[in-house]
Amino acid sequence: MEIGYYYAVSALLFTIGFVGVLLRRNAIVLFMCIELMLNSVNLTLAAAARMWGGPDGQVFVFFVIVVAAAEVVVGLALIVNLFFRRGTLDVDVPQLLRY
Amino acid sequence: MELLAQAAEGAGGANLAEVVLFWVFSVLAVGAAIAVITLRNIVHGALMLVLNLLAIAGLYLTLESSFLGIVQVLVYAGAIMVLFLFVIMLLGVDNDDLLKETRVATRFAAALGGALLVAALLFAFVGTYTSPSSLCGQGTGVVAGAGEVLCVGLAEAYGPDDRSGVAFLGLRLFTRFVWPFQLAALLLTVATIGAVILARRRDLEPEDLDVGVADPDALPPSDAELLRADADAPGEAGTDVPGEEPARLGASPLAGSDPTERGERPTGHDRPSDADRGEG
Repeated sequence: MEIGYYYAVSALLFTIGFVGVLLRRNAIVLFMCIELMLNSVNLTLAAAARMWGGPDGQVFVFFVIVVAAAEVVVGLALIVNLFFRRGTLDVDVPQLLRY
Repeated sequence: MELLAQAAEGAGGANLAEVVLFWVFSVLAVGAAIAVITLRNIVHGALMLVLNLLAIAGLYLTLESSFLGIVQVLVYAGAIMVLFLFVIMLLGVDNDDLLKETRVATRFAAALGGALLVAALLFAFVGTYTSPSSLCGQGTGVVAGAGEVLCVGLAEAYGPDDRSGVAFLGLRLFTRFVWPFQLAALLLTVATIGAVILARRRDLEPEDLDVGVADPDALPPSDAELLRADADAPGEAGTDVPGEEPARLGASPLAGSDPTERGERPTGHDRPSDADRGEG
């Protein structure tokens, strides 16, 4: 399979995640869309590693997965805190820094 | 499974197995991703995200990166998504935000931004990287023409004894990338400690609450109010006896029955249960 198709799929996935971040306002859904974008970038890295014959790209993907796991743990803890304080997951509601 | 193994080996030129698996997994991945951002129920969205991650794991297999595919299934589909579903269930949020309409300007911006992004990315990728010479696994002797990029493939870097690349990745992790590896370990430790501290429930200071809220009456009684109400009824604080209810009722004009004590919210989301509120 030509590598460009893998790039195209990951471009589509990234765009879907991007549009989801813009459209949805539930904090958990926003987080899931960020995961989508991270995964599409991972796919690009793995495809590029195969294309250029340098498997170091896979090591990068490995590290990105590790960082994503850490990010999810902290982010979900923040979301739980936000929900218990504000009683909602709507990201439009907290406006502490707005005025 | 035979197909998967054959594709993971990447043997042969235009490998039919790879083509079939690529289309199956990529259609699955894109469809599940669209479902994630359009489904109203968050739990369904999370399950669709699991499907998306599994499809991406399949794409890793076709990319001769079977170790990554396994890590993807274990870490993403296994651990991270379980954490997501756990939080969704914990918060009891099965309501969605799509019931409220987004503004037209927001939708327009999202559509425009998405179209621009996908156009730019496809413009960069299609053409140069979809030429015949960028077909992987053709072996040596293929020369890239002008404006084309040759796909090298991973077989040479892996060596003859290491089809999956696990040995290569392990060697790299403990030699060239040992410093980032240690940093990743440190990062995981810090993240775990941070999550534990963040998730710990504690009594909130009164000044932490009700700040930056436009309409205080629209909000449920804060923790501080509930604490004050508890202080009015000594001996009953933190317990779930029915006698506690009148004290809390006095503190909150919006109070109803105990599980939905804080009343209707303007946003219409589910409230957290009041059971864990008295523990702090």
